[in-house]
Amino acid sequence: MKSLHPLTWWLWSIALIVTVIRANSALYAALVIVGAALIVWRWAGNFPWSKSFWFSLRLGIFILIVRAVTGVLIGVPIPGTKIVELPILPLPDWMAGIRIGGVITQERLISSLQEGLIIVSVIALFGAAVSLTSPHKMLRVLPVIVYEFGVAIVIATSSLPQLVASYSRIKRARVLRGDEKPKFKSIALPLLEEALAKSLDLAAAMDSRGYGVSRVRSRYRPIMWRTADTAVFSSGLFLLGLVWSVTA
Amino acid sequence: MIKFSNVSLVYPTSTQTILEGLSFSIEEGEMVLVIGSTGTGKSSLLRLINGLVPHHTGGILAGDVTVDGISTQLVRPGELAHLIGIVGQNPSSGFVTDTVEEELVFSMESLNVAPEAMRKRVEEILDLLALAPLRNRAISTLSGGEQQRLAIGSALVMHPKILVLDEPTSALDPIAAEEVLSIIHRLVHDLSLTVVIAEHRLERVIGFADRIIHIAGDGQAQIDLPEKILKSSDIAPPIVHLSRALKLDQVGLSVRDVRRMTEDVRRDGKDNPLVEKVLTSTAISVKGAAISYGAHTALKNVDALVMESEIVALMGRNGAGKSSLLQSIVGVKELDRGEISVFAHPPMSLKGALRRATVGYIPQEPSDLLYAQSVAQECAQADKDNEITSGATYSLLQDLVSSISPATHPRDLSEGQRLALALAVVLSAQPRALILDEPTRGLDYQSKSLLIEILKNFAAQPGKSVVIATHDVELVAELADRVIFLSEGEVVADGPTLDILLASPAFAPQVAKVMAPRRWLTVNDVMRSLDQETGVQ
Repeated sequence: MKSLHPLTWWLWSIALIVTVIRANSALYAALVIVGAALIVWRWAGNFPWSKSFWFSLRLGIFILIVRAVTGVLIGVPIPGTKIVELPILPLPDWMAGIRIGGVITQERLISSLQEGLIIVSVIALFGAAVSLTSPHKMLRVLPVIVYEFGVAIVIATSSLPQLVASYSRIKRARVLRGDEKPKFKSIALPLLEEALAKSLDLAAAMDSRGYGVSRVRSRYRPIMWRTADTAVFSSGLFLLGLVWSVTA
Repeated sequence: MIKFSNVSLVYPTSTQTILEGLSFSIEEGEMVLVIGSTGTGKSSLLRLINGLVPHHTGGILAGDVTVDGISTQLVRPGELAHLIGIVGQNPSSGFVTDTVEEELVFSMESLNVAPEAMRKRVEEILDLLALAPLRNRAISTLSGGEQQRLAIGSALVMHPKILVLDEPTSALDPIAAEEVLSIIHRLVHDLSLTVVIAEHRLERVIGFADRIIHIAGDGQAQIDLPEKILKSSDIAPPIVHLSRALKLDQVGLSVRDVRRMTEDVRRDGKDNPLVEKVLTSTAISVKGAAISYGAHTALKNVDALVMESEIVALMGRNGAGKSSLLQSIVGVKELDRGEISVFAHPPMSLKGALRRATVGYIPQEPSDLLYAQSVAQECAQADKDNEITSGATYSLLQDLVSSISPATHPRDLSEGQRLALALAVVLSAQPRALILDEPTRGLDYQSKSLLIEILKNFAAQPGKSVVIATHDVELVAELADRVIFLSEGEVVADGPTLDILLASPAFAPQVAKVMAPRRWLTVNDVMRSLDQETGVQ
């Protein structure tokens, strides 16, 4: 799978994101997440950026929980089977129309979970594309016109995974100082500092090696679009077509 | 080739002038060494050459820098890429692609070099730097020395006239360093390449340098022949200290020169009597330790003992398993097999205050341990953690380095000061064992001798021991009682420093090379022996 074109998985994820939004079904979204997880697990390899998917999954679940809780507590109730009834928090008059607490219905809970799951799957698909694509290779296929943008992408995508590695290193050092549960701030500060320093180094290196000087780039070994790429991409397109025709 | 005309540099956020009124020129085919204490602006000087300073970093530049007739003020650093190859302090953070071949062609692709020319140049560089067997490897799997060679290769592939290197050997073991430096030396001679190189460990590069730029730290800089600069400079390799201590007429820069001048010293000298430390109880014991990561074995069946009041150095090639062993001794990496005890505690079980009082660890990046907003806060936190009188950590720090202001942010400290702060924080808990991973990376001679003094004092207290993993043979010669040599995850040698360091020429310190077959490792050893002589007479 090493030889896939760097855009392939991105195109595939974008196609799938469209299907998830179009299908608007929690079951389908869950299936897509499972599918993406399987693909990442099988093919992402062991690169610094490969773990981004699992990180995005965790982020998605966090969003899901926050959304479900706030969605149930605040907002318009959907009538239906009552699960539990909370006291309604009295609010001043100028906040009329907003309600905190009250009856929590099964329907309300399910609908927020469903919406949440779709958001999770969109985030997870982005994560999968990042996991499966080398940011460096990506940079090579981007046109020079998007120079500044390309530099930003490379720095962002290569410093995020480095952040994960640095995080565990710093946390370990903190444990060695006898601090088993370090505060978030105490890790975030050195982490941010290091990420910044590394990004600056990379940018300086790219700058001094002539990136973006010539409007035209030559290719040493052109990255080819192969049959495998077509297969992956068309699987995405096929799903897109299928979902579109079913939901039409 | 490179011409600095009256160059001054100031960073707007700092009150200190980095460089002031600097004028010099470097000719084609010259190899110029830049020396100076940490934080004096060596890196800034190097980055001025291709315009990264001030184009990339900001700062106010007065005067003019021209390279091959082009003023760096008028062009972006990228437009000098065909003329200047620059390799940063940490090559791994400058790699843009994933594989060796792609990295080599990155610059050429950016500058739109024709594919046929690219092929030819890539093959040329692969041969020149002996990278051919690695051409399809992923960069993340390369060793430190290989990465350094690749970084140099990616700069050379543009056929630059100037190569600028910022501490190219600081992360390398002596053999890998030798390899990289001899390649550079060959390029200077074969291709008349101009090389500007900054390096702390002068003993590694001094033999190759044509001239030296010495940055004093107050903005002043001096450029002259190595013999002249080193006659008076405070920064000097051990071999120069030896010449000074023996009061030789001339400062010798190579082992060969000094050997010729010191024949009588070797003939008349006597080996020093061995001073054996009395070692009674075991501090750290490692039995049958094994660790592997997937298919790669980091440690196989390692046995080692560290006694109380002993300083043990852990040496070996990059990737020999030094860090893995240290990390399992301090209890952050679990062993697959075997067992370790640190003062009778299994290290994985240590927690909180007991951990701090048992084992102190200084990681490769001492800044990992630091997180407060100022030196004062950092010290106060350590006081609180260890329940000691407030101000105790700060006064400990004052003993180590007196010049640190408490309001400084840890990030703004120099490498040496940061190491001292981390040491103060760790030592404030009065640990029984102190473990250090590559502490001399990026340290100048001054900070290094300070570190040696601190560690010696620490180990002189009853019931303390020190384990230090390092590539720095000069440090080991000055400091360690015993050396454990690891290779491919196995202990290949374990014995007194003197025996181990003298056994292999690659790991012998400079003084030992000069004084062979006398068994002296440091200038102190030589002087002690000579003092004995005069005492007898």
